[in-house]
Amino acid sequence: MASIFPVILMLLVTAGLMTASAIFVPKGPNQVTIRTALLLTFAACYLMWMITYMAQLHPIISPIKAGKHA
Amino acid sequence: MADEYPSLFRSEQMSLVQLFVPTEVAHDAVAELGELGNVQFKDLNPNVNPFQRSFVGEIRRIDEMARRVRFFAEQIEKEKDVIPIRPLYDSAPLITVGPRAAHTIDELDTTLSERERRLVSMNTSYDDLSKRAKELIEARYVLRETAQFFEKAQGHQTDIRTSFDDSSAPLLQHDDRESAYAPASGGFDLEFVAGTIERSRVPTFERVLWRVLRGNLYMNHTDITEPFMDSSTGQETWKNVFIIFAHGDALLAKIRKVAVSMGAELYPIDPNADKRAESLKEVTERLEDLETVLYNTGLSRREELIRIGESLRSWQDVVKKEKMIYETLNLFNYDVRRKTLIAEGWAPTRDITTIQLALRHATEESGTSVPPILHELRTHKTPPTFHRTNKFTEGFQTIMDSYGIAAYEEVNPGLFAVITFPFLFAVMFGDIGHGTIILVAAIYMILAERRLAKAGLGEIMGQFFYGRYIILLMGAFSIYTGLIYNDIFSKTLHLFHSGWTFPETNGTVVGELGEHRYPFGLDPAWHGSDNGLVFSNSYKMKMSIVLGVIHMTFALCLQLPNHIRFKRPVDIYANFIPQMIFLQSIFGYLVICILYKWSIDWSKSSTAPPSLLNMLIAMFLEPGSVKPGTQLYRGQGFVQAVLLGLAGICVPWLLITKPYLIWRDMKRVHSQGYVGLGHGDDALEGEEEGNGRAIAEAAHEGEEQHDFGEVVIHQVIHTIEFCLGCISHTASYLRLWALSLAHAQLSEVLWNMTLAFVLGPDTFSSIFGWIGLLLMGAFWFAATVFILCIMEGLSAFLHALRLHWVEANSKHFEGGGYAFTPLSFAGIDSKE
Repeated sequence: MASIFPVILMLLVTAGLMTASAIFVPKGPNQVTIRTALLLTFAACYLMWMITYMAQLHPIISPIKAGKHA
Repeated sequence: MADEYPSLFRSEQMSLVQLFVPTEVAHDAVAELGELGNVQFKDLNPNVNPFQRSFVGEIRRIDEMARRVRFFAEQIEKEKDVIPIRPLYDSAPLITVGPRAAHTIDELDTTLSERERRLVSMNTSYDDLSKRAKELIEARYVLRETAQFFEKAQGHQTDIRTSFDDSSAPLLQHDDRESAYAPASGGFDLEFVAGTIERSRVPTFERVLWRVLRGNLYMNHTDITEPFMDSSTGQETWKNVFIIFAHGDALLAKIRKVAVSMGAELYPIDPNADKRAESLKEVTERLEDLETVLYNTGLSRREELIRIGESLRSWQDVVKKEKMIYETLNLFNYDVRRKTLIAEGWAPTRDITTIQLALRHATEESGTSVPPILHELRTHKTPPTFHRTNKFTEGFQTIMDSYGIAAYEEVNPGLFAVITFPFLFAVMFGDIGHGTIILVAAIYMILAERRLAKAGLGEIMGQFFYGRYIILLMGAFSIYTGLIYNDIFSKTLHLFHSGWTFPETNGTVVGELGEHRYPFGLDPAWHGSDNGLVFSNSYKMKMSIVLGVIHMTFALCLQLPNHIRFKRPVDIYANFIPQMIFLQSIFGYLVICILYKWSIDWSKSSTAPPSLLNMLIAMFLEPGSVKPGTQLYRGQGFVQAVLLGLAGICVPWLLITKPYLIWRDMKRVHSQGYVGLGHGDDALEGEEEGNGRAIAEAAHEGEEQHDFGEVVIHQVIHTIEFCLGCISHTASYLRLWALSLAHAQLSEVLWNMTLAFVLGPDTFSSIFGWIGLLLMGAFWFAATVFILCIMEGLSAFLHALRLHWVEANSKHFEGGGYAFTPLSFAGIDSKE
């Protein structure tokens, strides 16, 4: 599963969540605050996950563990 | 505007309102508005001396009352045994509005003065009695000690004058009637002075006396064991009893003078032992009586204070409110016939209906029939900036306001900080365990909100309580980033299958990558590996740059709503677009390269993975050419040259466009024949002092004629700041990496130095194992909370805040507004 596909999939999921929160947050004195908070949360969480996933997709070095009898 | 909801995106629209308030209802109207907390009043009498204002008399009376209330509070505070003060929410309210208001205030005034008079008189009598008691106690000591001196000296006398009897009493009874000529007392040839003096003065006293009397004296002194309390200062003083024997009137007079000058107190002691015994009895009796009286006075004073304590808080509240009301009334202007007060102030446009309702309510309460009239004015003055926050957004808005109050109707960075601030904090703090600890702390503070708000925490705990919602989000995001970093108290979680397998060999083993990738977060295979830090450093550094560039781009885009709202389309073309192109062509390109390099499988590629840092440096030093073997993609040289060219164009674009356009407008205005004010005409200015010419409005309005040189300088500074800032701010985001590395290492060191020693294969089998685990565990937990959560937490808080203030705000924030400070009674409850 070492492909870029999950990145794109999660991007679409996040975009969907952001659109949903932009549309479905009820009107009220806190609408702008809640909407902004949800949009930013989804975006930030996706970004962080995406970066971590992509950094480990094709790593250049491999982990070296000192053996038990080292 | 009224049917739209308020938003935190910009500051609220404010209107300048004018109130016409009939004098009868003025006090109650201001009280209502104070309870509402929606109007900021302007001072309409700026040139009037505070002593000449209309309501100076009332304020003076309120000040007297405030002084009395403060006096009571001090007296209650000074009591050693705590006197209970009934808290405000438990006290019966005093009605200070309405027709009976004046009566209530008058009553309060008389009550306060009555109580003060009584308390003061009790205090003075207590002081007097204490002083007298002190004197009597000293006299008693003197009597007792001197008795000993006399007995001792008597003993000596029997050695010298053997014709002396044992008891001097019968001789004395006859002697003192006949010995008027013989000042010698009690068969002694010596006369004496007795009294008390402070212990510290004794050596000096002795020396002075020795010098003055040339050694012709005999002095004896002893300590008084118990100290004396000085009631006014509360200090303890230690005293000694002294008795000085000398011969001759002149010497005695000198001794008396010296003693008095050194602050000693002299007591008349009778040399006759019987008489002394009588005095002692008398003194003891009087002392007992005095102590009873003192005790009773103390009791009644305490009762008085307890009664005062019942109502003290409500008095303080009333006095503060009344003072604020009258100070506000002083800002108003009397109209011509002194029947109405005119007030001017700022209020949110949205709240004008509420204010009108409040005014009508005040009219009804006060029983008059003429309501105050509210009138909106049009003005060019800049209104105050008001962000309507609730208890959740208040903390975030405050920390962003500490950088500067946003300009009126500017985009509010506080709105976005609600999420970006805890998120950037969490990037630096990422640990599931630590995040849980601070989340739990925040949840506790939120659930106990009401109780903690009333309890009045100290200054430090109060700060933490004020930011409880910030801490809540910080904790939640920290748990998320902890899952991503796969770090819980320096251990990892194996939630999914790792992507690496380690073959079974002795000695060092290298992991082998399969097809599967760890789907969420950092692969646990890196934990405990020798080169784990190499990988995680590279990963975190690149992540910091990517997050930083995205945050800065976002902040830059916040310029657009400002330019659109303030109708400055020029700024979009002259400022925003070149800035965006400059930022993206260098650092946006870097981010894309980072992501691209991560997406290539280098094991299958023909070239070795190039270093991105060298690539960026080479892009500037050797534009257009890429060293063979270090290419990231085809056509790289050409693309980089184009991007460098774009960035290069942006600098003069940013530098020149706006000043040129302004200069062009100025030329057009000049060519049409208008002359700027303030240029030339110096001769006229001196003569006419504004009498014959219309003087321009205050400096911040009507600024068509700014100095062109200033504009150029401003733009130069702006350009240099932005371009250099791009580079330095991008590098500044590397603190996200640095702090998260420090946090992880600290956490690991703490574990290895504490719990790693007590956890072994046989910890849980022996009792010593359990005890060791318990003790070490307690220490580990304490260090975790204080060092890792509180200290590191504060550090990450500060750095995340700095990133918002400097890196993000410099891209869009204008600032320069002034905060909306309405007349509000809500704040005074918390102040003591």
